[in-house]
Amino acid sequence: MCVLVPAEDSNEEEMCAVEEEAGFCEIEGAADNATLVQSKHHEAHFYDFHIVYSSSFRVPVLYFRAYCSDGRPLLLNDIEKDLPACSSKVLLETKWSFITLEEHPFLNRPWYKLHPCGTSEWMKLLCLGDEVAAKNGLAIELYLVSWFSVVGQVVGLKTPLEMVKSQRN
Amino acid sequence: MAQEEKSRSGRGSSSSTILQFVPFNSLADEGFWHRLSSLKLNKYGIDDSPIPITGFYAPCSHSQVSNHLTLLAESLPIGENDQSSMPAFSRGNRNRCPVPGTLYNTNTLETFHALDKKSLLKEEANKIWEDIRTGRAVEDSAVLSRFLLISFADLKNWSFHYWFAFPALVLDPPATLVESKRASEWFTPEEVKSVSVACNGWRNSSLTADVPFFLISIASNSHATIRHLKDWEACQADNQKVLFGFYDPCHEKDPGWPLRNFLALISSRWNLKSVHFLCYRESRGFADMELSLVIEALITAPQGLNDRQLVPNAVGWEKNKNKYVSRCINLAKSMDPTRLAESAADLNLKLMRWRALPSLNLDKLSSVKCLLIGAGTLGCQVARMLMAWGVRKITLLDNGRVAMSNPLRQSLYTLDDCLNGGDFKAFAAAKSLKRIFPAVEAKGEVMAIPMPGHPVTNQEEKSVVDDCNRLYDLVDSHDAVFLLTDTRESRWLPTLLCASANKITITAALGFDSFLVMRHGPGPFSSAHAKTSSADMDNLTLSDKGRKRLGCYFCNDVVAPTDSTANRTLDQQCTVTRPGLAPIASSLAVELFVSILHHPDGMFAEGDITNSTSSSGSSEPPLGILPHQIRGSLFQFSQMTLVGHSSNSCTACCDTVVSEYREKGIEFLLQAINHPTYLEDLTGLTELKKSANSFNLDWDDEKDDYDDDDDCVEI
Repeated sequence: MCVLVPAEDSNEEEMCAVEEEAGFCEIEGAADNATLVQSKHHEAHFYDFHIVYSSSFRVPVLYFRAYCSDGRPLLLNDIEKDLPACSSKVLLETKWSFITLEEHPFLNRPWYKLHPCGTSEWMKLLCLGDEVAAKNGLAIELYLVSWFSVVGQVVGLKTPLEMVKSQRN
Repeated sequence: MAQEEKSRSGRGSSSSTILQFVPFNSLADEGFWHRLSSLKLNKYGIDDSPIPITGFYAPCSHSQVSNHLTLLAESLPIGENDQSSMPAFSRGNRNRCPVPGTLYNTNTLETFHALDKKSLLKEEANKIWEDIRTGRAVEDSAVLSRFLLISFADLKNWSFHYWFAFPALVLDPPATLVESKRASEWFTPEEVKSVSVACNGWRNSSLTADVPFFLISIASNSHATIRHLKDWEACQADNQKVLFGFYDPCHEKDPGWPLRNFLALISSRWNLKSVHFLCYRESRGFADMELSLVIEALITAPQGLNDRQLVPNAVGWEKNKNKYVSRCINLAKSMDPTRLAESAADLNLKLMRWRALPSLNLDKLSSVKCLLIGAGTLGCQVARMLMAWGVRKITLLDNGRVAMSNPLRQSLYTLDDCLNGGDFKAFAAAKSLKRIFPAVEAKGEVMAIPMPGHPVTNQEEKSVVDDCNRLYDLVDSHDAVFLLTDTRESRWLPTLLCASANKITITAALGFDSFLVMRHGPGPFSSAHAKTSSADMDNLTLSDKGRKRLGCYFCNDVVAPTDSTANRTLDQQCTVTRPGLAPIASSLAVELFVSILHHPDGMFAEGDITNSTSSSGSSEPPLGILPHQIRGSLFQFSQMTLVGHSSNSCTACCDTVVSEYREKGIEFLLQAINHPTYLEDLTGLTELKKSANSFNLDWDDEKDDYDDDDDCVEI
């Protein structure tokens, strides 16, 4: 997922000072006129989302990370600025949306994750209203879509209704 | 921009424009630098020979954002052993088209800047040209996008200087643009459908998903097929429309960089003049014919295809904000283990706040300055527990050295600290705390505490005076003091100083199998409470008069502290205690402290006893009651809370003593230190004892006069 950021200056303090290469620009062949000179493009923030099963909590967990177009990772307060207003609200106010920083179970780098300790409780609540589910339990695909429709909101992702409808058929 | 003005060939009209390409963008993922750092440390050392790496890219998938040539942890050779010096150039997948590259990682910043960039670029470009000449590029087209990366990894402060180059062979004369259209407009509607289906099929098959250059042949019935480049001759046979397709990472109206070397391949290999390209782009995983472009271009074959001497020029160093300079990225926040430990600890405490204790004041905990007097069994445990609560400023004071028996019971020391006579405890403890959590601000102070009843000679007097002043400064510069020594008299001076300065004071004291943990009440001259209303004014007056304020460690004693180390009976030797006692007492001391910090009245709060609370009953305080004293026994596995008020004859905190101290300062202290009965005379304890002794006969009958509050049990 990309979030386009209006052409603001990225945090200059975060990056090292750029050193001017003495005389490099004058070297022949630095560019040719087949190279398009780009006007200043917008900075974009990139988000990667992973869904990983937690065997200790026995629920799926949402892991995510954010970075700029030069690979520099973004911190939580930067991420919060990218989220739509209603998501920030959800993040702050609900009991079930705590973001923590942990080692990704397979990639061994720190990733943000939505703490899973409330997941099984609110999934039960979600399924309460559905007789079929209450009796037989949810099929995995339907479970994941329902689960994602809740957690996605915390990170500003909306699940279209069609996804649930198509799963049921 | 270089000044090479290409001459227009005669065939083009004056309106023909040079085909322009959007430069490739790089994205080096943090995982790549992490992996490079560990390889550099563990495998390469100072070896700076070129390293073969793999880049990944995919067709553009967003109408406003171009895709990058990405480097990930997997881009570097796997494994630390010598066998796998080649990266696993395995098949990619639809999101990761693997592309070969070369990394030059230097050992110093100077070498990095001094690299001959022109010749490095030429070298990589030569490899591409060779692959074109020999036909390898037709078999394995990903080699057309070969790239170069130079870098310098500063592993001390986690900064990485780097510069990408995407070598592109310069056509002389350059290709000219005839027409550029959206694919949906150039193809007929049937063709659009068929091409989309064919592309999606190509993208979905694991055999072809990562093949970035291909042919599209369209039959007369609009049926489109996608074929490998090597099937070129076969495509000619059927008189079909043939387009050259490639994964275009760019989203713009102009084609992306990979087309440049593709053009070089086509012109030198198949000698065509007019070509049609499909710049393939996607949306949501499917071919997007609105975003994709079809471009018609004219090219001139460069001379000397078979002349090995003649290699086309190349361009392709990546610009950094429109300048030809290297880039630098600092990753300390996500790679420095100290920073990571800090943020993990912080999040852990926040998790506690979120789950169980919304009123947890983490700022207060991280900013409070704690002074621990004594770095023994109690001191070590208290320090560790404080760190677990998020306290970051801890000073330990102790005169002694680590002895061989210490590490077992004093949790900050190991055998190494005992060697060569033993390190100073205060220093060893501070070092140990930093080893556990590097972000802690831990300091050790090696000094003795002047004690009453331990007279000093004239020569010693100066150093005693210095110690008194030093202790005064330490108490003054901290917010909370823990009295964790192993004698009664060593607690006297700190108690007095804290009472005079109104610092939070926590005492922990051990018997063989019993303990006392208590918080001292405020001193006799406390300024107004934080929350004083007119209704509280009565309480305030009483408190100022010293009647109702909670007592200190000495308030319950009728004897002044004397030399207790001489002639000690066995049961008074508190250096022998059941091992479980110190951790219990230390933990209670820390929890009591945290409760004080979270109580609205702080150290001025009334003392609670179990099953009651002093608050007005509106809501239960989140951390529970705030007792004054906790006394426990392992013999009974029991514990009780008590309240004791200050005594007017207390040798440490009554207003007589504190005012005498404030008036006479060091003189008063020296008197108390040198003359055993001075304090008792001053406070009237001498008088008290005299009058008590005169009531010998009725002593036993007056048990009910005993105020429950004035419990005379001494530990």
